Order: sequence, then C-alpha cells, then structure tokens
Amino acid sequence: MKTRFTFAHIEMFRFNLRAQFLIVASLLVIATMCVATASAQQKMSKRYPVSKNVRVVLKNITGTIVVESWDRNEIKLTAILESPKANLSPRHDGDGFTVDVMSDNRGRADVGHINFRLQVPAYSEVDLETKMGNITVTNIRGRLVRAHVSSEGDIELTGISASHVYAKNRIGDIFFDGEFVRDGEYHLQSGKGNINIRIPANSAFSLTAAAPNKQIHIGEFWNNGFKSMGDGRKFVGNVGGGQSEVVVTNFQGSITFMRR
Amino acid sequence: MNCEKCTDLISDFVDGSLSPEERNTLSQHLDECLSCADVRSDLHSIISFCQSQRGQYEAPPNDKALWLRIRNVIEADALAPAATPATTRSWTAWIGKTWELSFPQLAAATAAIVLVVALSTAVGFRRWQSSGVNSVGGPAMQSLSVTTETLRGRISQQQHAINYWNQRVEYNKARWSPQMRETFDRNLKVIDDTVNASFENLSRDPHDEVSEEMLNAALNEKLSLLKEFAEL
Repeated sequence: MKTRFTFAHIEMFRFNLRAQFLIVASLLVIATMCVATASAQQKMSKRYPVSKNVRVVLKNITGTIVVESWDRNEIKLTAILESPKANLSPRHDGDGFTVDVMSDNRGRADVGHINFRLQVPAYSEVDLETKMGNITVTNIRGRLVRAHVSSEGDIELTGISASHVYAKNRIGDIFFDGEFVRDGEYHLQSGKGNINIRIPANSAFSLTAAAPNKQIHIGEFWNNGFKSMGDGRKFVGNVGGGQSEVVVTNFQGSITFMRR
Repeated sequence: MNCEKCTDLISDFVDGSLSPEERNTLSQHLDECLSCADVRSDLHSIISFCQSQRGQYEAPPNDKALWLRIRNVIEADALAPAATPATTRSWTAWIGKTWELSFPQLAAATAAIVLVVALSTAVGFRRWQSSGVNSVGGPAMQSLSVTTETLRGRISQQQHAINYWNQRVEYNKARWSPQMRETFDRNLKVIDDTVNASFENLSRDPHDEVSEEMLNAALNEKLSLLKEFAEL
C-alpha cells in the first residue's frame, strides 16, 4: 500500500523542522552564554610557603570560603573572581598570610562574588570574615578558628580541634563538629538559623546556652546540675568537669548538642 | 651587691678609698652591670676633665666682693621659704615625701581603707533602704522603676550610636548591589524582631534577666551589623 503525502504531512514536516531549528538555536544561545560567563570569570591559583602554625586572615565581601588542611607547610590559594574588575593582593610573610578583599578594592563599586578555596597547614590559625556567603572549615588543629558572616551564610566547621573557636552569622545555620580542648573557648552565635554541635561523648565543658524560643536540646550531655533560667530560654551548667567554656546564643533558632 | 649600693660606693671606688674586700665586690658588680659601668666611666670622664682644666681659670678681680654677693644670694634664698605659710610648706613637704612603708604599716593602711569603705557602704545602704520604705510604691516598685529607667537610658544611649551608623549606611547604600541591599534589610529585620520581642517581654516583666540579656545582645548586634555594612 502506498503512502500518500498530503498537505497535512507537508505542514507537519515543516513544523518539525521549525521546532528542531528552535531547539538547536536555544542550545547555541545557552552555550554561548555559558562560555561568556566562564570567560568573564577569572581564576587565580597560587602557592605560598609558610610556617606550620601560620595565621591565615581572609576578609571577603561576598562569596564562599572553603578552608581545608593539608600536610604541607604552604598555602594554596584558589580564587574564582566573578568580576574582572576585582583585585586581589595577598600579603604574606612566614608567620602570617592575609587576603583583604575590602582594602584591596576600596573605592570600587561592586567587586562581585569571590569564591575562595584555601589549603593550609593543619596547625594554622584561621580567621575568616565575609559580608555574605558560606564558610566551610575542615580539619584545623591550630589555636584559633574564627568564622564571621556579617549577614547570610551557613558556617560549617568539621574536624576542628582548636582551643579558640568563634562562629557567628546573622541568618544561617552553624554546624560544629570537633572537640572542646581543655581551657578552650567556644562561642557560637546565630541570629536566625539552627546551631548544631557534634562532640565526643567524654567532652568536658561549662555551657551557657540561650535561645528565646526555648529550642535548646542538650541531649546526652544533660545532667541535673544544669540550671534553667527564663523558663527554659537559657541553660547554664557543667558537663564532665567543665574544662572549657562554651557559649551558644541563638536569637531565632534552635541549639542542639549531639554525641559523636 | 646591687646597683643602689654600687652607686653609693662608686665615688669612693674611683677615689681609691675603699677596702680591698669592698673593691673586689664592686669590681665584680661592675663587670656584670653595664649601667653601673657606664656611671663609673662618666665619673672618670668628669674627674679627668676637672683635673685637666685645673688652674686654667683666672681669679676674679675682687674676690671679697664676689663672696659677699654669693652670701647675699644664699641668705635671700634661705629667707624666701620662711615667708610662705606653714600649712603650704607642710603640704608640699608631705607630697614631696618619699613614701617607704614597712609591711605592717602597709597592712594597717589597707585595713583602715577597707574599714572606711565598708562603713560608708553600710551607712549608704541603710539610708537607701530607709528611703525606699518611706516612698509611696515601696522598694520593689522603686527598684522596678529604676530598672526600667536604666534600661531606657541605656537603649536611648545606644540608639544615638545606632542612628549615627544608620545614617552612614543610608549614605553608602546607593552603591550596593540590589542583592546586598535586600540581604541587609532582611538581616536588620531579624535583629529588630529580636529587639522588639525582648522589649515586649521586658515590659511585661522588668526583672526578666534573659530578655534583658537578649535585648542587649540584639542591640549590640544591630550596631555591629550597621558598622560592618557602613564600611562597604
């Protein structure tokens, strides 16, 4: 039986052709945009020889910060700069390494996002600040870990064994997974978000935890020595002899302790 | 041998009038102490300069008249302090005195200060209590109003600082990206919500310490958020 091509067949064929053309054209446009965006971004990668307990200071405006430890006495800085106008001038001597996006770009209107990845010696002191963006710090054993987000951004500190830890954001979660070192100080504060603390079962610390919405979960670390204030909005007490000081404040979110 | 003792003996040492034992002890100290060694060398320089210049100055033409003038000046200086009132002298002498107290003297002075402070505190506290009992609302009402007033005062003080930084933020805000402006506003609202909630709690119960702490913390947060964004 012969197939007869009618006018309807021809129209369908034309429609298919038009549709295929449109799909291909859209893909081309998307690909071009991706290439343009990628070429507008700048990537900077550099290594700096430092001492094993170097103090790393990074002050960003917006963008993510990831800090990881590695087994070398050098820092590897990788930065992806969204705007080609942005300027980065890291300063370093043997004991200190500083990147200050704010002062490097003073007077420039908008430097856009800068995403940082830093690989640093495990015993470094790490002091990180950003106006907006997530901060992640992994496996740092130096004296200090400070992560400060002026506005929105999650803070994730994992594998931390520092004696002084300060984590603060205004909107966003804070996750601390590490240990409280004897005589250490740990201050975690969020304006709106959840604060989760994961520590070994044998941790010893004195705790002051305050959350006006009463969402304070001390979990397995609870004991009868804890004093509740303000009808459960604040708890003060010692766990395992209280050898380090832990202060956790959350204005509009929960505080949860978990055993590792 | 310490430096003080060394300073006392160094002049005799330079003159050579010390006993051999003292001389040895002092020499040992001078070998170890740089500052005392410097004093010795200075003294040597002065003495040798004086010795080298001896006899090179001409005698004054009328030495009797010179000595008379010197004596007049000394006598005039000696009479001048006598003209000042006795109280002033005693005060200046008292202030100028070097206070070297023994341990028992120091302990007695400390005990006396502690006693005076404790007594004045007790008297002050009793007066404050008695005035509270006599007042219309009683001590509880008074302390409540004091707490509220203190809180209001503190908030108003902080409000001045907040207003200042807010102006700076508003001035710079136009330069920010729309995303940054939205983020800032959202964050400010979170803090303002906490301030308002704490303030409401405090107006219901002015003795709510947790709300007071939260209010203080939130106000500080507001201030630091404004400061941090003002620099953008």
